[in-house]
Amino acid sequence: MKKIIVEYGVDSITKQVESGFTFGDLQDSDAFKGALGFGDNTKALVNGIEQNRNTVIPDGTTVRLETAANTKA
Amino acid sequence: MEKTEIILRDNGTLTERIIRERDLLAEGEVLDALTAEVTRQQRHVFAIPSWGAAHADVGVTDTLWSVPINRIPLKARFRVINGVLLPMFASLTDLEMPMVWSAPKEVRLVFAVRTTVEDDLVIVGGNWLFALDANHSGYRLPLPNLHDECTLCTGEFADSYDTALAAVSASLEQFNQSKWNADLMRTVAQSQKFFRFRPSNETFTTLPIEAADWTTLCDKVATAILDRVLL
Repeated sequence: MKKIIVEYGVDSITKQVESGFTFGDLQDSDAFKGALGFGDNTKALVNGIEQNRNTVIPDGTTVRLETAANTKA
Repeated sequence: MEKTEIILRDNGTLTERIIRERDLLAEGEVLDALTAEVTRQQRHVFAIPSWGAAHADVGVTDTLWSVPINRIPLKARFRVINGVLLPMFASLTDLEMPMVWSAPKEVRLVFAVRTTVEDDLVIVGGNWLFALDANHSGYRLPLPNLHDECTLCTGEFADSYDTALAAVSASLEQFNQSKWNADLMRTVAQSQKFFRFRPSNETFTTLPIEAADWTTLCDKVATAILDRVLL
């Protein structure tokens, strides 16, 4: 298990997750979606740098989620 | 026609003067080309019930209508975070609420509508939402459904009307009824610092913007449409 901090908008939560938990797992997690209110179309940033969905989130990381801009009119 | 004159000056020098004359075709299309960018501005052309006065910037091919507004209808999903009701545009689970955000006096909002006339019908060519500061600089609000140049994505609605009043009124009604979703969403934190409400027993109060300078939460814009906006 490891601890991660997830920020979305002005809200954030700290949570214990499985050691193999990836950025993609976080972006797809219904539990995190419900807790923070983000949708399906997101990008995960660490220190402002966008992360690959397959990368395992290191212990103690603060992840900022942003709604990914789409071009729909 | 060309004419040559030889002039004998007082000091004895001879000077040749050639005069060429031709008629210029300063007719309709030339005048149109010269005045293509010229517009005329007229204030208080008509009043939109429950919104206010509409000002017109009339060009050769179109008219830009400006309606200064003091509120934004926000039909969107919201949740309470730390006692403050905040928009959650991307959420699929939070409660959808028809909130109305009241603009503080330093944020001057303008709803703009561009119309053209075709076959005696007034055609809506686009809707824009601008925020202006005291210096008349324009900003894109931290809202989804707004393109970079502040064009509003209002969804489908009829675009042909008998009068300009009907066209502008219909655009505002569409703005009033539209739901805000996450399309064209930027940073949600900026939205949540800008559009804030305090829930009380029976109503919601718009809270001040959570920034010393509201423009820091917006993107500055400079467009040809903005240049025609009247406040």
